[in-house]
Amino acid sequence: MEDKNDILLKQFFEEAAKQTIEDNGFTERVMMNLPETDMAESRVRRLSHLWTLFCLVIGLVVFWLTSGWPIIEGAISGGKQMLINAIEVFLITAPTTEISINPWVVVLLLGFVLVFLPYQTIRKLSATL
Amino acid sequence: MASISDIALVTQVAVFHNKQAFDQLVRKYQSPVRRFFLNQTLGDEQLSDDLAQETFIKAYMNISKFRGMSSFSTWLMRIAYNVYYDDLRARKQTYDIEDSSAVRQSANTGDSNIKMDIHAAMALLKPDERTCITLQLIDGYPIDQISKITGIAENTVKSHLKRGKDKMANYLKENGYGG
Repeated sequence: MEDKNDILLKQFFEEAAKQTIEDNGFTERVMMNLPETDMAESRVRRLSHLWTLFCLVIGLVVFWLTSGWPIIEGAISGGKQMLINAIEVFLITAPTTEISINPWVVVLLLGFVLVFLPYQTIRKLSATL
Repeated sequence: MASISDIALVTQVAVFHNKQAFDQLVRKYQSPVRRFFLNQTLGDEQLSDDLAQETFIKAYMNISKFRGMSSFSTWLMRIAYNVYYDDLRARKQTYDIEDSSAVRQSANTGDSNIKMDIHAAMALLKPDERTCITLQLIDGYPIDQISKITGIAENTVKSHLKRGKDKMANYLKENGYGG
């Protein structure tokens, strides 16, 4: 329920709330003073694209000159072998290894992942409106 | 949530750097932004227009950060609020705005009596109280929106409103209103 003060203030501010300020060239002044970011930005973007293209070409040339495919193939097959070895070691040692897990640590980790991280994300998003 | 026409205009500005679209946004929101500054500066038109111009330039520079989770006007008013408080802090280093005779003088020139009374009553309030009062009673924002614009907790906004309204109501009664 509104008290007398609220009614008095509403009446007092009624006129001010309806007040519309005429533009009188304000928008033109703002538009004239906008920083010229377009040209500078497009120049930077163009240079960035050129630099990416240059690096890509250099990378392809080096790859071709050094016969790069066998190196990559070797790295992939080596990585695959390492992964297989790691799984084998895990499968052999896992049943015999006892790791004591504190349930409170699990609860804390779950709490962090399920509550704190979404809370932080929502806070950051709402801060930027 | 932001209205569709505002989102369309903001997208035009952010993606295609369309200045015509930004021109439309400035035309649409110049009045509430300038009125907000006019009330915060107790009627100093020159300072209000300078601060409003700075607000729109900052909005243009940061328009890609607008996520549409609130209305464009709320986002713009938040920038306006930050611009005003940055200016207030900068000027407080040289003199206290509350005692500035220059501001009061400018508030009293060329205005109608009701505007003079509004600015005189506003001068009694602390800056935060003045901001909350103008956002609610003149611009019509609800408390949760005022909290978003100012970054002040809702309960603190309510306290500022209560204190501000009490001070203003006493002033008005002493000056023959509501009698």
